Amino acid sequence: MLQGENNMSDQQSLGQLASAASSEVMIEINQMNKWYGQFHVLKDINLTVHKGERIVICGPSGSGKSTLIRCINALEEHQEGDIIVDGIVLGKNLKNLDHIRTEVGMVFQNFNLFPHLTILENLTLGPMWVRKMGRAEANEIAMQYLERVKIPEQADKYPGQMSGGQQQRVAIARSLCMSPKIMLFDEPTSALDPEMIKEVLDVMVDLADTGMTMIVVTHEMGFARTIADEVIFMDEGDIVETNKPADFFGNPEHERTQKFLSQIL
Amino acid sequence: MGIVKAEKTPARVAPIFETSVVGWLRKNLFSNTFNTILTFITLYIIYLTISGVFTWGYVDATFVADNRRECYDNSLTGACWAGVIDWFDNIFYGRYPRDQIWRINFGGLLLALWMAPMWMGPVKGKVLIGISVVAFYPFLAGYLFSGGDKGMFMQVMIALALVAFIINMANMVIGLSNKQSLRQFLIRVLGQSTAPDKTQRNILLILAVAAFGAAFFWQSGWGVEGVSWTKWGGLFLTLVISGIGIASALPGGIILALGRRSKLPVLRVLSTGFIEVFRSVPLITVLFMATTMFPLFMPEGFVLNKLVQVIIAVVLFNACYMAETVRAGLQAIPKGQFEGAHTIGLGYWGTMGLIIMPQALKHMIPNIVGSFIGLLKDTTLVSIIGLFDILGMLRSISKDQPWLGLHKEPLVFGAILFFIICFSMSKYSRHLEVKLSAGSRH
Repeated sequence: MLQGENNMSDQQSLGQLASAASSEVMIEINQMNKWYGQFHVLKDINLTVHKGERIVICGPSGSGKSTLIRCINALEEHQEGDIIVDGIVLGKNLKNLDHIRTEVGMVFQNFNLFPHLTILENLTLGPMWVRKMGRAEANEIAMQYLERVKIPEQADKYPGQMSGGQQQRVAIARSLCMSPKIMLFDEPTSALDPEMIKEVLDVMVDLADTGMTMIVVTHEMGFARTIADEVIFMDEGDIVETNKPADFFGNPEHERTQKFLSQIL
Repeated sequence: MGIVKAEKTPARVAPIFETSVVGWLRKNLFSNTFNTILTFITLYIIYLTISGVFTWGYVDATFVADNRRECYDNSLTGACWAGVIDWFDNIFYGRYPRDQIWRINFGGLLLALWMAPMWMGPVKGKVLIGISVVAFYPFLAGYLFSGGDKGMFMQVMIALALVAFIINMANMVIGLSNKQSLRQFLIRVLGQSTAPDKTQRNILLILAVAAFGAAFFWQSGWGVEGVSWTKWGGLFLTLVISGIGIASALPGGIILALGRRSKLPVLRVLSTGFIEVFRSVPLITVLFMATTMFPLFMPEGFVLNKLVQVIIAVVLFNACYMAETVRAGLQAIPKGQFEGAHTIGLGYWGTMGLIIMPQALKHMIPNIVGSFIGLLKDTTLVSIIGLFDILGMLRSISKDQPWLGLHKEPLVFGAILFFIICFSMSKYSRHLEVKLSAGSRH
């Protein structure tokens, strides 16, 4: 399904090496609660992510998994508890929010590329306007990341002229241009045609190999099995189960997890 | 089941009745008896109208005469264009001193030159050109039109405008010949292409300051005689009022729309209130308020000239309409665009200026141009409060001794003039819409 199952074990061991190498905490969430009006979306969430760790979050729709990662880069406000990202406490302080957003990259289901700008402009916008880089330097970095997602020849096209898979790879490159410490993926392959899913997952696997801290909300179980250090199952706002991928898929503990897995596998 | 067709089917030519003129006529005009009758009746009506207008306006018309009596001597049923032709200068320039009319024409030429680069493909920095027109041209033109003594502020603004104009023209020439921006060209000529950004910026800054000094020195050496605003009139006045209206309604509308969508309650309530008040009142009321009521609230001795009051009223009124147009455009932008901008760390102004506004404005072009056309036509209302804009001028022809009672022809002429201006605006907006949507659609 992915990148050839045969090198799966290599990547897993590499991942464990990376996470074992550093135990620096990147994200810490303590007793976090969030409501939409009266609706209790996230209930007593506790989560710790170390540097270089790859976390996959799965669960039925409406379980709050997207909301959780949107809270981590402050796209959504939480009402109770603490979220600490790279040593910075998220709260009402606007300066902190802007700072967090430059440290945390995010990739969306619908890409959210800027349709009025070319691919290259999409990529250089952040470095030039937020990081105050010169154009030449920003272009160089952008081209470097376009090489990495394997579409350097598309630099002068507009997003509307590309396939979904290519757009999503551009979106990943756009986030990487800001050299974030953490990458969040919110169902990156859900809006794609089946034949394009692989090219995006390949890029994400490559990224995982570089030791990037990643939190991925996805239904791609093959991907989770290959790269995840830990799989989290959420249902109705609760984190129901956290396990190593091998245990999570081979021997799920909670009955809700078992039911979910029996439905999607 | 097996293979149904092994070979590809070649495409054939469409049936003749789908493509020929006769086929089109039969399908659209003569499809049955009733439609055929309708077609003939309509053609007859069109014939009557056109032949009537043509006979009145051209065949029987008088183009050369000294007064209305001579027109009648020539033909009783035809139009008397001689009156309109006799008043041409008044219609276009009002009572502006005849020997100073070149200033108006020169001002118009400057504007055309200033804006021309925006339509030239290889020229760089079009947004900056647009901003410089709105920010600097009004001061230069304002002085050119009204003349008199220059205050310190005006001197500085005129010098800035001159520098902006010269930079713009140089940029145009470089763009057309070298396909480069002026900045790149200067840096290359000075051999500083490899210098760090900061050095390059300093060099350019020094050049700009030097240019400003030269312009300031040069402009202090000349002046033009003063012409009171009461002498302004005709199409010139109409274009001045609507031009300022158009140039400031859009920025004003953007600010008000952002205010109305702001998260800060005070700002939101103020903007909303302002917009709703102006939108619920007819323009003519606003104009009367501005010219008759407003001075009553002002301290004794504070006199603002009527033209300025009218312009302020037109600007505020249209900014409020524009604000609603802009708001509609902003609402059409998907939430994902805001989120995408936030995740690369752009703040509020970065998000709005770089991501949201460019897309929203593009969607809104037809509506914006629609408002501009409305603004241009609404400007004629100022003739009611005693300014001699083009409509005021056209109507005073009938009170002029030789042309007493000549109503019809001036108004027809005015209608044709407005049609030409407004129709070209709307055609251009259509063209812009097609051009901008090419290549960058989803």
